[in-house]
Amino acid sequence: MFKRISLLMVILALVSLVLAACNSSDPEDCSSDEVFCVGLVTDVGEVDDKSFNQSAWEGVQGAEGVDKVEFIETGDAKDYGANIALFAEDGYDVIVTVGFAMGEATAEAAATYPDIDFIGVDQFQGEAIDNVAGLIFNEDKAGFLAGALAAMLSETGTIGAVLGTDLVPPVVAFKEGYEGGARYINPDINLISTYHPGGMDVAFTDPEWGASTAKQALDQGADVIFGAGGKTGNGALGEVAGAEGAYCIGVDTDQWETAPEAHGCLVSSAMKLITPGVQALIAASKAGELPAGNYIGDVGLASFHDFDSEVSQEIKDTLSDLEQQLAAGTLETGYNPGG
Amino acid sequence: MAAQETETMQERESVGKRLWRSASVPVLSIILALVIGGVILALSGNNPIAAYVALLRGSFGSAEAFGRTLEKATPLIFGGLAVAFAFKAGLFNIGGQGQLLIGAIIAAYVGFAFDGLPFIIHMPLALIAGAVAGGLYGAIAGALKAYTGAHEVITTIMLNYVAINLTDYLADGPWKDEGIIARTPAVLESAVIPTWGFLPFGFLLAVLAAIATWYLVYRTTFGYAIRTTGINPNAAQYAGIKVSQVIILTMGISGFLAGMGGAVETLGVVGRYQPGFNLGLGFDGITIALLAKTNPLGVIPAAILIGAMQAGSSQMQFSAGVPFQIIDVIQALILFFVSADIIVRKVFRMRETGGEKITLSTGWGS
Amino acid sequence: MTSTTVTTAEKPSSRISGRTILIALLVAIGIAIVYYYIVDPTATTSVLAGTIRQATPLILGALCGLIGERSGIINIGIEGQMLMAAFVAFMVNVALGPIMPLGLALFLGVVSGILVGALMGGFLAWMSVTLKLDQIIGGTVINILALGLTSYFYVIGLTTRGKLPTFALGPLADIPLIGPVLFNRSPIQYLAIILVFVVQFALFRTVWGLRTRSVGEHPSAADTVGISVKMTRYMNVIIAGCFAGLAGAYLTLESVGTFERGMTNGRGFIALAVMIFGRWTPLGSWGAALLFGFATALKTQLDFMGLNVPPQLTGSMPYILTIVVLAGFAGRARPPAAVGQPYESE
Repeated sequence: MFKRISLLMVILALVSLVLAACNSSDPEDCSSDEVFCVGLVTDVGEVDDKSFNQSAWEGVQGAEGVDKVEFIETGDAKDYGANIALFAEDGYDVIVTVGFAMGEATAEAAATYPDIDFIGVDQFQGEAIDNVAGLIFNEDKAGFLAGALAAMLSETGTIGAVLGTDLVPPVVAFKEGYEGGARYINPDINLISTYHPGGMDVAFTDPEWGASTAKQALDQGADVIFGAGGKTGNGALGEVAGAEGAYCIGVDTDQWETAPEAHGCLVSSAMKLITPGVQALIAASKAGELPAGNYIGDVGLASFHDFDSEVSQEIKDTLSDLEQQLAAGTLETGYNPGG
Repeated sequence: MAAQETETMQERESVGKRLWRSASVPVLSIILALVIGGVILALSGNNPIAAYVALLRGSFGSAEAFGRTLEKATPLIFGGLAVAFAFKAGLFNIGGQGQLLIGAIIAAYVGFAFDGLPFIIHMPLALIAGAVAGGLYGAIAGALKAYTGAHEVITTIMLNYVAINLTDYLADGPWKDEGIIARTPAVLESAVIPTWGFLPFGFLLAVLAAIATWYLVYRTTFGYAIRTTGINPNAAQYAGIKVSQVIILTMGISGFLAGMGGAVETLGVVGRYQPGFNLGLGFDGITIALLAKTNPLGVIPAAILIGAMQAGSSQMQFSAGVPFQIIDVIQALILFFVSADIIVRKVFRMRETGGEKITLSTGWGS
Repeated sequence: MTSTTVTTAEKPSSRISGRTILIALLVAIGIAIVYYYIVDPTATTSVLAGTIRQATPLILGALCGLIGERSGIINIGIEGQMLMAAFVAFMVNVALGPIMPLGLALFLGVVSGILVGALMGGFLAWMSVTLKLDQIIGGTVINILALGLTSYFYVIGLTTRGKLPTFALGPLADIPLIGPVLFNRSPIQYLAIILVFVVQFALFRTVWGLRTRSVGEHPSAADTVGISVKMTRYMNVIIAGCFAGLAGAYLTLESVGTFERGMTNGRGFIALAVMIFGRWTPLGSWGAALLFGFATALKTQLDFMGLNVPPQLTGSMPYILTIVVLAGFAGRARPPAAVGQPYESE
């Protein structure tokens, strides 16, 4: 057995040598100073997830003065570091890593590659690292506005939320903010919400569960439903779209663009503006001024699109008033992470 | 690619002849699968040569790449052994995933909570704790089957979901690290499984486990009892084998192997327990076990093959722009051709040799 | 088990008088439902409606499994069959949507899903019957292949213009409790319920059923009386594939309206568990599927009630409940005797 393993090792080593020799060359050489390259590593999930990976990728593509952009989709969370290294070893100038789960791998890579700037979406920076900017958002504020809108639109006094998993901090922030905003408008509102019962691998990719669960909420009189959980949430939005007189609220991006199946109900979305945030940070890095530590991106409600006429001026005024108070810090959402 | 790996060990002949006899079908299967995969790639506008070169570079192209291949192969070996071992007793353990998760989190707990132990005690302790936890978890399904007749396919699927919820709860509750992220604290230095150069020590553990499993199955009385039960539980009962004990112990050992896989992941790769970092490994174990025709030693090359494809998939995306999902297609084709050796022999005009036929599913409902 | 007497195995039980326990259980469930309906009609109705809905892909998957297994072919590839059918049904609908009326496009989408399911069934039959591969390998090949192909060829941003609608069955839908739960559903959900009874009848009261069961129990005996074991198995596994295909079409064209990678999320495996739980009978499987659907809907309801417990606690409830019921009441199950064994005719 051992003889055979060692034989195997020798053969493998030979194969490796041959392959290492035939390294192809790239026309756009990212290691050159002239060429500015930005790479993006997705969280487990696809770059076209209609949600945060996609927003970040759109930010990378839309950034100015960038010569080459590329992404790698992560298939296994243990590959975060290796995927970052693929860009780093190729001489990329900025590497965007998406998702809180990649925070540790990003920090490690930042120490290994001090000349490369890193942008960590949803990665809270406890201690500032020189070449890492954590693009974070006060999701609870966007959630608060969504909750306030839901409470004002609701005629039944029952509103719902169909959520991904409480293991992902931004989801919890959205939820807590949503409930805080709803109660702020109507302290007696009946809030019904639930998380997906599966693990991280299915919690955001189970539209069938999202749809069935949204139906259950609709059946109990909920007339506004917040879908916050990737494709699971999108399933909920699509279900509400088929129900008479019910509204739904999307999450992360303006889902009017990403979830056309929800056009029948999508009154707005609780947005975190990842795309402009990523663009701004890439521009800062190109100028040599990446802000180390946390960079707080904008949040807010998306436009009402086709439902603009159904949202009264009074509601709109209240929302803009709340938005100002939240921005000024005179209003608390009730979300207390760590508490 | 790395074809010589897929060998099995049964008869004793001259090494070269035997090697070719047992390796020819797997090697040719891999080639066939790659060709068909290449056609799919080409039809969908990708360059198959570039894709495969990148896949190879990412899995065997450098010492680090090879190290990552072995790192990927490690939990696959454990997962494959867990499934293969249970098959020997006619049991279908779909619960490797759950047992692995339990092993991973218990190892993490012992790894971060037991301060002040030297490496020589702490690391093995955490490893064994994880393995035992996985074993006990597997034994639940065994006991349910032995005492109530509840089918292990149902109970292990259900226990997978319970394990996910349980570990998520622990990582987000009592055993949560400081901060807002749901995960346990990092395991202490004294519990970390080292990597020697590019060679992960965990891989050696996996190889040892495979050898031990092989010995247990083919060279011990208990192994004989297991195999007899697997072939015909009624006959085994008649021959004086306590079948219910065999079932519980088999599921326990199967869970022990899966749990050790989880522990090795925690202590050697991830460094803590974090939800989402250990998913999918249990189901890959089924593929590996089938690819190895349930031979514990065959699990090693099978796991290296699949591990290499997983390790190289990022490089393939990066250099050739090919979505990593294509490796699933290739894996399915490899499994198909390895099992359907009739086709391979037809395609390459090889002589029929009375290759061993495996039947796993006879124990389906007993 | 082999005789035609197994007709109402809603909650299978064996050791004490099975029928007594079954009737007692059904009565208890009935009383509980009425009680909760009086206490909280809205919640009870919505949980039960959710139960039927969540059970739909599971019972269709289980029917796929049991039609194959009754003839002696194990099918652990239900998950892959569903996923592939979900994908193709969706893509066909998207392609045809712009050029024909929506209803027709949806119908053709469902039909193509069913055909893909059947095709995958044919592939499984070919591997199991002709090539005589181990049947667990055949199913695993289908699972991985389907996941890989659908994920690789997945196209971003496609959506249908609509999905199969809910329609109420006239005055039946106005009956309190029963109306909204049973008679206000969408087409495939109705179809799934009907198919349970159709398959139950066909399996135990028709020539086809008799042949199927004899091939699954005593293939050599069936062979001697002139039943072609291979043909029967081929036919059954292909028919079975239609059911998995229907389940896939249900996911994309009736329940969700889009396709996502890996969207079956283990439902094919749960369907497998449901089938074994239901002891390879349609009615029994339906009972098991309803139990699981109920537990899932109940989990959601507990969360809606705002109990201050970790979500993981309610999250594991459906699975623990299934294990408890299985271990406590259902007992030992016996599969068709010849399942898993390739048949060699003399």
